[in-house]
Amino acid sequence: MPALSFAGSDFSVRGDLVEAHARAWAAIAAPGTWLDGARRVAVAAEIRKARDCPHCARIKAALSPNGVPGAHESLGELGAAEIELIHRVVGDPGRLSEKWSQSVLALGLADGEYVEIVGIVAMVMMLDTFTRGLGTRDTPLPAPVAGEPTRHRPAGARKKAAWLPLTEPEDATEADGPMYPNPKAGYIYRGLSLVPQSLRDYWALANCHYLPGPVIYRFDQSISELRALERPQVEIIAARVSAMHQCVY
Amino acid sequence: MLRESMQTEGKQVDVAGVTRGFDGNVGIPHAAELVEFTEAVVLRDAARTGAARRELLSVLGAAGFADACAVAAAFHGFVRIADAIGIPHFTAANAPDLSALRAQAGINDFYRARGEA
Repeated sequence: MPALSFAGSDFSVRGDLVEAHARAWAAIAAPGTWLDGARRVAVAAEIRKARDCPHCARIKAALSPNGVPGAHESLGELGAAEIELIHRVVGDPGRLSEKWSQSVLALGLADGEYVEIVGIVAMVMMLDTFTRGLGTRDTPLPAPVAGEPTRHRPAGARKKAAWLPLTEPEDATEADGPMYPNPKAGYIYRGLSLVPQSLRDYWALANCHYLPGPVIYRFDQSISELRALERPQVEIIAARVSAMHQCVY
Repeated sequence: MLRESMQTEGKQVDVAGVTRGFDGNVGIPHAAELVEFTEAVVLRDAARTGAARRELLSVLGAAGFADACAVAAAFHGFVRIADAIGIPHFTAANAPDLSALRAQAGINDFYRARGEA
């Protein structure tokens, strides 16, 4: 697979990955489903601020994440619900709860906004962790693109299996656009399905970072044409990252 | 996923290493360097990451190192979607013996698994 130089890095990186990063930042800057481009870029900026928030550090260190006194150190561009959502998802994702998620919504955030913000957090954490691993600086935040959010809510979205509504594969409609590679897509794939555009943006990036969707459960299939790692090398990294985040999935 | 990928190669893995940490004899090439780098990145320890980066580069080369960065980064996204949306975890990885596997791996000690969420 052709390699390209990665901005600010001495390393050549798979060309599809370099291109995926460029597309991801462009998607973050563009109007979304519930957030306009300026608010989406403000979310990205707050994600970076959250990495060094002293209150988040206190929460992370506490035996219980609930009831830790203090306030998040924020950039002041977003509301209380958005800041709480961003900081907790960035800083201590393994100790969130349904009760906590409902408390964030009760602060005035719509469920579609919540899911769209989680999608941005997941993308920015992926983008920035990659550059940190390479030893390069954060990619500069993009300029927001003007325009209106689409405000598309899937007609088949329902709150059932998760804390937030999902659009199950059998409930997705043509109006939602392409969402699932197959009707048995796992719950991790369905997570952002209340906001189909966020789902598409996220997986376009994630499949380049991890593995293409059709290969993920094909353990008998060599990945030597796709990656410069053996499959168990990929999975030992994946397992250790997940465990260190206390992710039960 | 780790266990399945090992079994496909006719190998076994002590899944407790997922939570406890792996030693160098896990049966995966350069596992020690991969795990050291991964842990340093998760902990955001710049000095440790720098040293681990050099070690990993020396054993994997640039392409393997970049792919290792990409995988570590990917799971910084996956965990946040899973845990912020609260997706059900009882079907994860399609493992028929998930309950036993989670016990062996120590995942039942995690906050959400303990029912504190």
